[in-house]
Amino acid sequence: MIVTPKIFVRIAAIALLAVLLQLSFFSRVTLIHTSPDILPAVVVVLGLLGGAMTGAVVGFSIGLLADGLLADDLGGSSLVLLGIGYLAGVFRERFEIHSALVPPLLCMGLTFVAELGFAAVQLMLGVDAPISPLIVRDILLKSIFAFFLGWPIYLGVKRVLRPALVEEPRVRRRRAPRVLGA
Amino acid sequence: MYRKQVRRRRAVLTLLIIGSFLLLTATYGQGSGGLQQGISTVFGPLQDGADRALKPARDLVGWFDETFEARGENDRLRSELERERVQAVAGQEALQENEQLRKLVELDRSSAIEFSTFEPVTGRVIARSPTVWHSAVTIDLGSGDGVVVDDPVMGGDGLVGRVAAVQPGSAQVTLITDHTSAVSAKVLPGGAQGVVRADVGDPEDLVLDFIVSARKIGVGQAVVTAGWRASEIASLYPAGLPIGEVTRASIVEQEASQQVHLRPYADLANLDFVQVLTGGARG
Repeated sequence: MIVTPKIFVRIAAIALLAVLLQLSFFSRVTLIHTSPDILPAVVVVLGLLGGAMTGAVVGFSIGLLADGLLADDLGGSSLVLLGIGYLAGVFRERFEIHSALVPPLLCMGLTFVAELGFAAVQLMLGVDAPISPLIVRDILLKSIFAFFLGWPIYLGVKRVLRPALVEEPRVRRRRAPRVLGA
Repeated sequence: MYRKQVRRRRAVLTLLIIGSFLLLTATYGQGSGGLQQGISTVFGPLQDGADRALKPARDLVGWFDETFEARGENDRLRSELERERVQAVAGQEALQENEQLRKLVELDRSSAIEFSTFEPVTGRVIARSPTVWHSAVTIDLGSGDGVVVDDPVMGGDGLVGRVAAVQPGSAQVTLITDHTSAVSAKVLPGGAQGVVRADVGDPEDLVLDFIVSARKIGVGQAVVTAGWRASEIASLYPAGLPIGEVTRASIVEQEASQQVHLRPYADLANLDFVQVLTGGARG
């Protein structure tokens, strides 16, 4: 991806919109007792489209913004999200996206990693309360939600960043000529 | 050229990781710093706008979720109603006793909030934390409304948490389901005292810890804030604020204290409006 000032503004707008949507909408709705978390999915998609460096920087920024808006200890979410953004970017640089299922599956897998990462950071900082086994359900459901949200997020972000993406032109399939009388 | 790119990429990654650790070290347990104040002040109005714009969509998803869960809820409410009926009879007796006692001590105040000097200010929840590890909400009340750090926050039915950080137009509230929260509380009737803490990962469950195992506690008993004062220090919460009701009480014979599980009265998963108790004396 070629990051021009215009594209930089678009990426910043996507990051801001994602954080606002997460805090004002997704965190406040519950489906099967769990709120979806789109932030890891957005970071993964930006890493997939923009590469490892874009993924890491966007992950760091989104984490910082989310923590800052909720008066949480700064740095925790940034550390986790920059990691998954980087991983998504490395995946894109090493493998081709052959199937439409790759982005949602990657969103699901890396959201799972991110949720484990959030847990690890919290445990590292110290948790002063008992931990419910339901936390496992929360992590699994968040990952499943990420699978279903991953594809629309991927399509939306790809559309916004289309001018910056270096894509190979699609090969048009030609119909085989019909032979009359055959 | 490629090697140079890879080196640059790794350098940026290392810098970001070091930056994250530095931020964690600098802000851990410090509350709201200058950077956080700045972020909240700049993006607060945007959050407020997003909250208003997304309310219809949130309500729609909420309707689907509630319909899905209504059946299970119905069964639970039926059994709860039966229990409440029994308690209502007991409550009538207690009310009569209470009236007599009031006459005796010449007290005529109706609730914990009225009893204290707190002034309730109503606000709207505009954002919520995405992770269960940090249970917090942002509200549209700030220092301009008289809100200060550590003010108690109530929901429609019970205690919600306390103010953790304040900006001019917004404030962050740490919920009682956050792992850093600890509320001194007592069980009614009986008065057994303990500390209410979160059960991380389950927003519908709280743990009342450090209760002497000799005190018998039953399912359905109410838990309220204890409120205490010892010379210079005092509890952040006034006495008598409702927290929740006991759902499970287990006595471990070998231990000197018992753990009691309770369900918060306030619907912490679906908070829309809260009341901040401003001013007033602690404890």
